[in-house]
Amino acid sequence: MIEPVALKDFFITFFSAALVILGGAGYAGLYAWAKLRGNPRLLLWAYACYAVLAGATFLLARATHLNGQWQILVGLMLTGYLLAPLGIWKLCVASHGN
Amino acid sequence: MNSIVSALPGKITSLFGKLDSPYLNGGQQLAVKYFSVATVLFFAQLLFGLLAAIQFVAPGFLFGWLDFSVNRMIHINAMVVWLLYGFIGSVYWFLEEESGTEIAGLKLGNIAFYVLTGAVTIVVLVFLLIQTGPGKDTTIWFINEGREYIEAPRWADFGIVAVMLVFFYNVAGTFAKGRWSGISGVLTLDLIALAGLYCAGMFYLTNITADQYWWWWVIHLWVEATWEVLVGCIMAWSLMHLIGARRKIVQTWLYIEVALMFGSGILGLGHHYFWIGTPDYWFSIGGFFSALEPIPLVAMVVHSVYDAGVHQFKSRNHPALAWIIAHTFGNFLGAGVWGFMHTLPQINLYTHGTQWSASHGHLAFFGAYATINIAFFYMAVQKWRGNVWMGGELPGNGWKWKWAMALLNVGVLGMTVALLIAGYEQSFIERAMEGSTWSAYFSAQNHPWFQQAMHWRLLFGLITIAGLVLLIWDLVTIGKGETRPALQLLEAE
Repeated sequence: MIEPVALKDFFITFFSAALVILGGAGYAGLYAWAKLRGNPRLLLWAYACYAVLAGATFLLARATHLNGQWQILVGLMLTGYLLAPLGIWKLCVASHGN
Repeated sequence: MNSIVSALPGKITSLFGKLDSPYLNGGQQLAVKYFSVATVLFFAQLLFGLLAAIQFVAPGFLFGWLDFSVNRMIHINAMVVWLLYGFIGSVYWFLEEESGTEIAGLKLGNIAFYVLTGAVTIVVLVFLLIQTGPGKDTTIWFINEGREYIEAPRWADFGIVAVMLVFFYNVAGTFAKGRWSGISGVLTLDLIALAGLYCAGMFYLTNITADQYWWWWVIHLWVEATWEVLVGCIMAWSLMHLIGARRKIVQTWLYIEVALMFGSGILGLGHHYFWIGTPDYWFSIGGFFSALEPIPLVAMVVHSVYDAGVHQFKSRNHPALAWIIAHTFGNFLGAGVWGFMHTLPQINLYTHGTQWSASHGHLAFFGAYATINIAFFYMAVQKWRGNVWMGGELPGNGWKWKWAMALLNVGVLGMTVALLIAGYEQSFIERAMEGSTWSAYFSAQNHPWFQQAMHWRLLFGLITIAGLVLLIWDLVTIGKGETRPALQLLEAE
């Protein structure tokens, strides 16, 4: 049985989970925009969003007691969300080319 | 009396016949019938939702006449059915153009429409007229099957499956007769799953865990798998005809979407199995695959930015495109953010079945499904009027569609936030602090946060209904008297 969230972590769980998705979307959107404009400053903002995503994931993992082997999974998912926009961008370029 | 009854079918068909337009092909004439009933059911969904919302703030309202349980049931069932009507209509709409031939068995398709609409009418009347009574075997067959969200009695279930099979025959038969494409292949396979999965909700088991296990196959796998793919097909076709997107691109992305959706959505089913008595491994499966479910949304964000920046698309129908944009935001917020906030079992233990679920449900269904149907209604009405101009510079600067869109979005978002506050309070006080007892339930229900949230929900519900009335008015009048032809786009390859 997975250990439920403690009462004191109630808000942080909802808040960090929402930030995971918003940070992920911000990272993906800004990464694509930076590539489109060729603007390295936007890329920095994209990585700032990823940092928000990573921080929120850390908080969420702590609040939801993702210990032991679960932490490997958290690491793998963070890597996956880091690489996903890069892969999707490549797919966009490849699928839209003549 | 008998003469009235015998004349009724003729009167009904002539009523729907008035919707025919010389600019439409056979499938599109049928689609307009589906869209018309969908709009009526959309209104019914909001009307019964409003009655239920009033009962939250004034519990004695209509008590004994139209109980909360009935209003809630019709509110949700009407939503499921109007969305399905919209999807079926959209497929009939593009069937002939996509296949390059006339629809196979169109007459049968028309009969199926009247059968389905008649069945829906009878089911709703029975829900309204027979609200209480003993639960027997015959009740399951003729009154109410008792499964939340799909309460239709079993006779209607068989009717629904029969109509779905006719729909499948129309679609598969037409493509087999004409030409296949990536969109048609995905669509045809998806319809097999759509009809097949409904059967999982049709049998009754005395073990409640086993019964719920199969019931979720219909609810989750319809909504988070087959409906998503169906919407993907409708969206792919719409983008080609709305902004001139190339077929090769939309089909490639349809395949990617299907792969991502099935990769995460099918086993995401596990998040419904946390608390129904299934084995513990569903905690891990449900939690993990639910965490993967936002990936298609991340792909959507990257692709939208790419398309907006690289291609200078011109839209031939501004209201439809605006609703498609609303779809992307609504889907992302409602399904992505609101879903992930409470999907892990460690927190879902407290939120499952509270107003938090209702908050997520309101925004996700509106964002992911209602918006795409409304977009398609605008595309349909454009051709129905004779393929007229629906770009910028509409009469009155298009105030009706803009205000309808604003009111509907503000209304739904407002209800979502109000329900979120109520759900947070409910999961915190009723579940976490007081341990889900009967008295805890009442503590939460009587808390000022909950009470105030219900008043706000009612207010935003009224705003939503005002938006729908304006939307219907706009759909009936937009393009009337317009003489400018629609913007011509390059033919999709």
